[in-house]
Amino acid sequence: MTQVPTQIIAKSGFPEVAPPNLVDTMRSEWTKLKTLRSTPVTLAIAAVLVIGLSALASFLIAANESSELQHHGSLPTPLQTIQGGWSVGLLAFMVLGVLAVSNEYSSTLIGVTLLATPKRSRLLLAKVIVFSVSMFVIAEVMSFINFFVGHAIISAYPAFPNVSLTSHLVLRVVIGMGIYVTLVGLLGLGTAALMRNTAGSIVACVAFLFILPGILSALPNSWSNPIGEYWPTEAGRRLITLDHGPNTLSAWWGTADLALFILVLLLIADYALAKRDA
Amino acid sequence: MIQVRNLTKHFGPNIAVDNLSFEVEPGRVTGFLGPNGAGKTTTLRMILGLVRPEKGTATVDGVSYQRLRAPMREVGAVLDAKAYQPGRKARDHLLALAQASRIPLKRVDEVLGFVGLSDVADRRAGNFSLGMAQRLGIAGALLGDPPVLIFDEPVNGLDPEGIVWIRTLMQGLAAQGRTVFVSSHLMSEMALTASHVIVIGRGHMIADSEVEDLIKRSSGIVVRLRTPKAEVVVPRLQTAGGKVETDSDGAIVVTGLEAAAIGDIAFQAGVPVHELSPVEASLEEVFMELTRDDVEFHGTGAGVVQ
Repeated sequence: MTQVPTQIIAKSGFPEVAPPNLVDTMRSEWTKLKTLRSTPVTLAIAAVLVIGLSALASFLIAANESSELQHHGSLPTPLQTIQGGWSVGLLAFMVLGVLAVSNEYSSTLIGVTLLATPKRSRLLLAKVIVFSVSMFVIAEVMSFINFFVGHAIISAYPAFPNVSLTSHLVLRVVIGMGIYVTLVGLLGLGTAALMRNTAGSIVACVAFLFILPGILSALPNSWSNPIGEYWPTEAGRRLITLDHGPNTLSAWWGTADLALFILVLLLIADYALAKRDA
Repeated sequence: MIQVRNLTKHFGPNIAVDNLSFEVEPGRVTGFLGPNGAGKTTTLRMILGLVRPEKGTATVDGVSYQRLRAPMREVGAVLDAKAYQPGRKARDHLLALAQASRIPLKRVDEVLGFVGLSDVADRRAGNFSLGMAQRLGIAGALLGDPPVLIFDEPVNGLDPEGIVWIRTLMQGLAAQGRTVFVSSHLMSEMALTASHVIVIGRGHMIADSEVEDLIKRSSGIVVRLRTPKAEVVVPRLQTAGGKVETDSDGAIVVTGLEAAAIGDIAFQAGVPVHELSPVEASLEEVFMELTRDDVEFHGTGAGVVQ
């Protein structure tokens, strides 16, 4: 084992191939994403919690509602009930986005990654593509399973109103959930590319996603209405809800608002990555 | 070949690398020496495109690292032994690197075998000892069969077997005609491994020379003389231009006179000579002498703090 062969590497046996490009970087990033232990673990926990909590919410609300047959204006709609577990899912995808970048810094792997791919914009682009495509597929699968499970539970209580995929806009909301959580994951990824630190990025994202919108709503309406309407993660929610208050963006304009915000964040992160010492 | 021209970098008000220029030639092991904090790692990181120079350039075969078309096939480097995700298997770590560099994937098992990690390839790298981590880092550096190799403090924390392995490896790589550039703060290690050394302190160049020349140049002429009649010969030696000190064991240490001249003076004075031997300073002493003014932190004394 400690012997060094005289011919350490057979130079002749090494084929001349074209230099690596974006596709090679994406292959590498895919390997890294799926072999990162936190990825499958976080996804498995997220799937169990999202679908489990949604099922529990569907059961409790539908059972309670059908036994008492009392309708209060404040009760959630059937679709809201079925999507009940997704607030946990949102958090999970955000954390996965953060970890996809920040784990490279916490483990000092980033130095090696940049030796293999010194073109930093290409590296960030590869990470964004691989993360969004894989998370989108997984989130869509989760969203449809979640819907069918909730739908089946509610169906057992005929007194409770139910929805189906063919109901007005329901399909959009179910597909939209996959899009929305993928975008929230990208928000985490962009934040981590800028902050390079797991804890800091998660705190920043939680504040942006959950805490600041709450504080905003406490402001006088003349302030909170316009800010709340365009606050990216709130505007993006139009895609996953059916009730549009007056005065709000449409589902797709709201999504575009969130996507544009993430694009700007990623461009800033790209600039910072190029300028800073690794 | 690595070429560094007028490389300069500050971190805040402190200068890390100060107008440094040198070349690292292929076919030999070149040591990169300096006390802790001398700027070795920063220089290596600038060569590898990880840190941006303020002034100057660092190139590999005339091209800056970020412009290399297939970087891992042109330069292999180990900067930090544990630069991997601890939850990832050793093979997956190398697989991702090979994919990013479009290196044939069968090469992963080749380098794993070469560094002796085949048996633990499917174990999570977080459980690796420092020696295994170093081997994994070296496997990554060798993936692309690069003609230029850079190692930052590769023997730090290794056991003797690991040190010998790395030393033999570096010399073997150089013997194949590759450029091998190795940083260390241990002169004694470089004395055994390198044939050429670049010494820096506080970011600037102190010496760039063959190891043998460095010893000769720095030690001057030092001769030990042992005689029962020191009081007779010492004034004569001083008259002849020698500097004389007395060693702890009673021997006279003469600087600035050849052994032959000292012998002649003793003979003319009729003084018996029991020992007359030229002393070669160890590389360690040379290093201490060269970098004395450039050590970042000096101790205030040898006393033990109570």
